[in-house]
Amino acid sequence: MGQIVYAAAMSHVLHPEYYETNVGPRGRRMVEDLIAVVREMGRDLIARHPDAIVIVADDHLNVFSFDAVPAMCVRVGRTVRRMVQDDPIEFDRALDGLPDRYPLHEDLAQRILEQGMEAGFDFAASWSGALDHAFLSPLTTLYGDQPSPPLVPFWVNCFVPPPPTARRCFDAGRPIARVVAASPWNVAVIATGGLSHFPELSLARVGESDPAFDRRVVGWLEGGDHEAMRGLTTKELHETGSHELLNWIVLVGAVAPARARVRFFGEMGRVDLAAVEWPV
Amino acid sequence: MSRYDVNVLLYRLKKDRELREKFKADPSKALADADLTDDEREAFVRWDLRRLNELGGSLHLLLSIPGLGGH
Repeated sequence: MGQIVYAAAMSHVLHPEYYETNVGPRGRRMVEDLIAVVREMGRDLIARHPDAIVIVADDHLNVFSFDAVPAMCVRVGRTVRRMVQDDPIEFDRALDGLPDRYPLHEDLAQRILEQGMEAGFDFAASWSGALDHAFLSPLTTLYGDQPSPPLVPFWVNCFVPPPPTARRCFDAGRPIARVVAASPWNVAVIATGGLSHFPELSLARVGESDPAFDRRVVGWLEGGDHEAMRGLTTKELHETGSHELLNWIVLVGAVAPARARVRFFGEMGRVDLAAVEWPV
Repeated sequence: MSRYDVNVLLYRLKKDRELREKFKADPSKALADADLTDDEREAFVRWDLRRLNELGGSLHLLLSIPGLGGH
């Protein structure tokens, strides 16, 4: 029988230069502290020898165009490329110098697709989507120079309205957990993004976060108040700039009723940073 | 107002280097065939990022068009 052997969620721009440019030395120091914690978490993850890693993250209009945006999508195939872009913005400079190609766990991805469908979740499948910083910045910080196990990238549409609801995301985590439990594999589940930033996706409000909201969310995670997470409205997520919390909520659905242990929480202003893990 | 048309054009500017270079050289000419309202067209030609955002333009696209993104 398979099991989830490691579960964690973390902010996904783990790139000091981005914060140096946009926030200054305080921002750089805070993300460097977060990176040190994520590396430590990586040592624990590596010690558990997962056969596969499901990474739940969002697309920043890099993979899916406005012609078709799936609510949730599983990357299938045998390998996946690192996204390469002309003159990348600061977020994606975190990808410079990383390996070009990563192995995928095709069998686990296929089971999530098929059994998700049986459970009432019409996950889309992508054979060609590349991975941006949302996937690779946390993964490569966790694994350092070591090769990662095969991945199952899982996209949630956090930014193109209308996104899936928090309730739907939580519920989508359940079949993923059941697939793992019925499989022969030990699996790590990582969710990325957040905490609050870019409220209302308004250019005029770039630079604001919502620390009070973030403290509340972290409290719910620590206390195992998953109904509060599941009950978050699309309006609340949008107004507070917590769109990427949807990724975390998929993971919470997969590991509930486990309570989170907060490894890092920092209020930066432009974005609040966090790293959280669940004893599984 | 068409959120879709604004975003399709922003997405093309992000991904299509040839269109991007034409747009940088002569925005009005590059957008001559685009299906935009007058308000949208003006925001593109003036490269008024805040206005494009108000018209439904995706923040992440506005921040990430090579050589044009920013805030």
